[in-house]
Amino acid sequence: MIVSWNWLKQYVALNMPLVDLERRLMMAGLNHEGTADVEGDMAIDLEVTSNRPDCLGHIGVAREIAVLWGSELRIPPADPPSGSTNVDGLAKVTIHCPALCRRYTARVIRGVKVGPSPDWLRQRLATCGIESINNVVDVSNYVLMECGQRLHAFDLSRLQGREIIVREPHKGETLEAIDHKMYQLEPGMCVIADANRAVGLGGVMGGVSTEVSNQTTDLLIEAAEFDPMAIRDTARRLHLHSDSSYRFERGIDAEAVDWASRRCCELILQVARGELAAGVIDIGQTPTSREPVKLRYDQLKRILGIAISPGESTRILTALGNAVHASSPQVIEVVPPSWRRDLTREIDLIEEVGRIHGYDAIPEDVSVPMTRSARTKFDRVVQRVREVLIACGFDEAMTVSAADESLSEAFSPWSRLPALATRTPVLRRADRLRRSLIPSLLECRRTNENVGNENIELFELARVYHAKQQGLPDEPIMLGLTSSDDLLAVKGVIEAILARIHSDVVLEVSDSDESLFASGEACELKIDGKVFGILGQVGDAGRKHFQLRGPTTVAELRMEVLLDHAVLVPQYQKMTQFPSITRDLNLEMDEGVAWAKVAGLVREHCGRLLERLDYLETYRDKQRLGKDRKSLLFKITLRDNKGTLTGTRADEIRDRVVAACAKQLGASLRAM
Amino acid sequence: MFRSGKGLFIVALADFLADLDTMAEQAVSQLAAVTDDEALEACRVKYLGAKQGLLKGIQKGLAKVDKADKPLAGKRFNEVKSTLEEALEQARNRISQQPTSKIQGPRLDPSLPGNPHRIGHPHPLTQTIEDLKEIMGRLGFTVVDGPEIEDEWHNFEALNIPASHPARDPLENFYLATAKHAVGPMLLRTQTSTVQIRVMEERKPPVRIISLGRVYRPDTPDATHYPMFQQIEGLLVDRHVTMADLKSMLRLFAGSYFGGDVHIRFRPSFFPFTEPSVEVDMTWGDGWMEMGGAGMVDPHVLSSVGYDPDEYSGFAFGLGVERICARRHNVTDIREFYRNDVRFLHQF
Repeated sequence: MIVSWNWLKQYVALNMPLVDLERRLMMAGLNHEGTADVEGDMAIDLEVTSNRPDCLGHIGVAREIAVLWGSELRIPPADPPSGSTNVDGLAKVTIHCPALCRRYTARVIRGVKVGPSPDWLRQRLATCGIESINNVVDVSNYVLMECGQRLHAFDLSRLQGREIIVREPHKGETLEAIDHKMYQLEPGMCVIADANRAVGLGGVMGGVSTEVSNQTTDLLIEAAEFDPMAIRDTARRLHLHSDSSYRFERGIDAEAVDWASRRCCELILQVARGELAAGVIDIGQTPTSREPVKLRYDQLKRILGIAISPGESTRILTALGNAVHASSPQVIEVVPPSWRRDLTREIDLIEEVGRIHGYDAIPEDVSVPMTRSARTKFDRVVQRVREVLIACGFDEAMTVSAADESLSEAFSPWSRLPALATRTPVLRRADRLRRSLIPSLLECRRTNENVGNENIELFELARVYHAKQQGLPDEPIMLGLTSSDDLLAVKGVIEAILARIHSDVVLEVSDSDESLFASGEACELKIDGKVFGILGQVGDAGRKHFQLRGPTTVAELRMEVLLDHAVLVPQYQKMTQFPSITRDLNLEMDEGVAWAKVAGLVREHCGRLLERLDYLETYRDKQRLGKDRKSLLFKITLRDNKGTLTGTRADEIRDRVVAACAKQLGASLRAM
Repeated sequence: MFRSGKGLFIVALADFLADLDTMAEQAVSQLAAVTDDEALEACRVKYLGAKQGLLKGIQKGLAKVDKADKPLAGKRFNEVKSTLEEALEQARNRISQQPTSKIQGPRLDPSLPGNPHRIGHPHPLTQTIEDLKEIMGRLGFTVVDGPEIEDEWHNFEALNIPASHPARDPLENFYLATAKHAVGPMLLRTQTSTVQIRVMEERKPPVRIISLGRVYRPDTPDATHYPMFQQIEGLLVDRHVTMADLKSMLRLFAGSYFGGDVHIRFRPSFFPFTEPSVEVDMTWGDGWMEMGGAGMVDPHVLSSVGYDPDEYSGFAFGLGVERICARRHNVTDIREFYRNDVRFLHQF
């Protein structure tokens, strides 16, 4: 809202420097956006919050100034002289849609001379950034900027049947608005029509057919109250946002409708002459009186933290236009003014008293009691996960929660239900809420490859979204990884994470048939039989889909499972002084025998004596071992907490392991 | 002088001592003059060599000294031996400490880069969030978490945003395109206050929490806007909570995060879920810097979760993480935060 310094002076004395005015208004809720010099006047740009439509006119801003400086507010009475002919014989108004238009008033002026506006009028509008059209249109804009009420002037002679019908549009009806664009009208819109056709969109824009021109002599002045929701809806649907719709959306001062009409007529008579018909056509509901609102004075201190005297509180409330309904030393009851629809509750009055009194009076050094607060387990685990990943060379990425269809469909190992979609895309084409972090991370990978970045090691911690039949969707938090390294390298990182949270779980693997992965180079990870994550090398087709040049391994882990197994407060284990003994084993077996099977047998047969099991390497040689054969080299470290373990005993245990592997896995000890 | 007996050739003590002293003198002066390892080693072999060393030769002579003189000769020999060893050690120290430039041959170049060890970087927004969480934790706030996909009750109604409010416009929100659902229409949350409602529905006051995470509002991405962003919101509800508590808490917070003794300023504003509502500024250089929005929890919100607004009051505040992070690191385009170019991530 741009207000003119000179214009404000019509309503309130401005004896303060401009900067003081800007600052006080800002500190009372009208944020100062800037001030510009327009032909010697000051155009002060104020940001008006949506609860204060009363400040969308000069009078409203002047009222705030009057309250803040304790000065007098002067509002013109607006009593235009009228002729003897009564308006009822000159025009007719009917409302067919009272839900969209609560009230419609019309006055008629005949014999006006449309022409250029006088300088004072042009200058006022120029300061507010409004172009001068002609004296009649300019006056309606002037009144809009004066009190916030949109007036519309019709060329009465062009209103067929000399009547106004307020109704919803007919099927297929169109309107050419004064911006010379054709608009398709739809149900729910409030049409201003004459006997035969739409001539305007109530509260949004007038039509070109009844527009005031230089030939116009007779005017019908509309001042009406339209439903804010309907106005907003219409403006959105037609992409037709105007000064008018902006104000109606926020609600106008219902009691000022008639004042605005009189004020408009008064000014038209002044700048375009003509004769005002006697009386007014006033159809629909006139505003009803409002309920009083109670303020208990002790609530001021309870909420604001400062005491404000009843005298000062009463002064502020009455200066703002509240009428005192009842008063006692403890309580005041006021009826809020019609232009302040936002004042309906005690808390509203507390805010008014507080903001005018000034929030600067509120102290900033009271002591707030201390209280316990603990970091959540999730935060503590995540911190460790992040530490490990950073140390392993991974950068943290943050990607958007939505993906386009092609990305979304590329990989969804956790949910077979269709991805949830937003009605409008979050970003260009991205309207699917992701079911996995991997597609977004691979897209990031491509972005990085495209700018020639090396070392693209990324992780992300975020939610994914899985539709559910009942209730809100599931939003498990996942850890996603993409690395240029191979599967075992990434598995090593995952194991490092488990080690950092002191989890001694055994990662179980099973086959994964996700098509994103290269055949045989992927697995599902489980802990205690529960799915923990997925890990795999992206295959050629996957790389092609994501347009990736280099190889990558990806992993996605369920944070929930990690949380379940995190030991944040490990307990001391006494360390024995008895020595340990190691034995290296080199077992030859078929290619298809998994290490996990061997490891399982080692654990089973070493029992409590097993301190460590270290895999060393896999050896393959067609000549020496034969086709599809391999040899696994590993080391077991044995220690007995109860006594010294002898070499003989260690050998026995080793032999037991070898025998079990031979029997169950067809493995044989290979000569070293 | 000849003596009978075993017929051994006897060396006079004086001669022995003279040889010893001459050799010692020579050795000390030569050792003092060596400048590199090679010369030092030659010198060591010459005088202290285990087989052919001059000292070894003189030691052999000791056996031929008259028995009566042996204690004295032996004592002197040992003295000279330690003198030489000391001189050798000194020379060795001197050479090892001399400037590298004088060392000959292949050597360690400590100016070479260390063995590469790549470390990653936490996202700058994470770093900001962790800093904020840490400070709020010290001020007694506990982190709470909740869903990003919400129903209209938690995102709007309970937050005093009625159906007529412009914020409810479908174009201002990301509604889900789902068929009729038991919980009604669902949307991506537009603020993290939704979590605060969920917590208050479950718990009686006192409540002192921060909710943070991703929120979503339709916006065309540009240098200062993005349809997804991170928000951190604090809430304190108890008996006797006032705007003075809010101002004081925000001052503690701002001073802790930005450092120094700052001051807080409230400008009246409007948010549906707080009343009074304010914009919060803090002192910054000679002026003021916007921190975020705040206010006293609206009585309607308290009633919505079953708190009696006459018994309890509370304050709430919200901060935009991107804005704080961008200002702190002088990032001029917030889209960078979600582009994840590793050259960007490595800067923080």
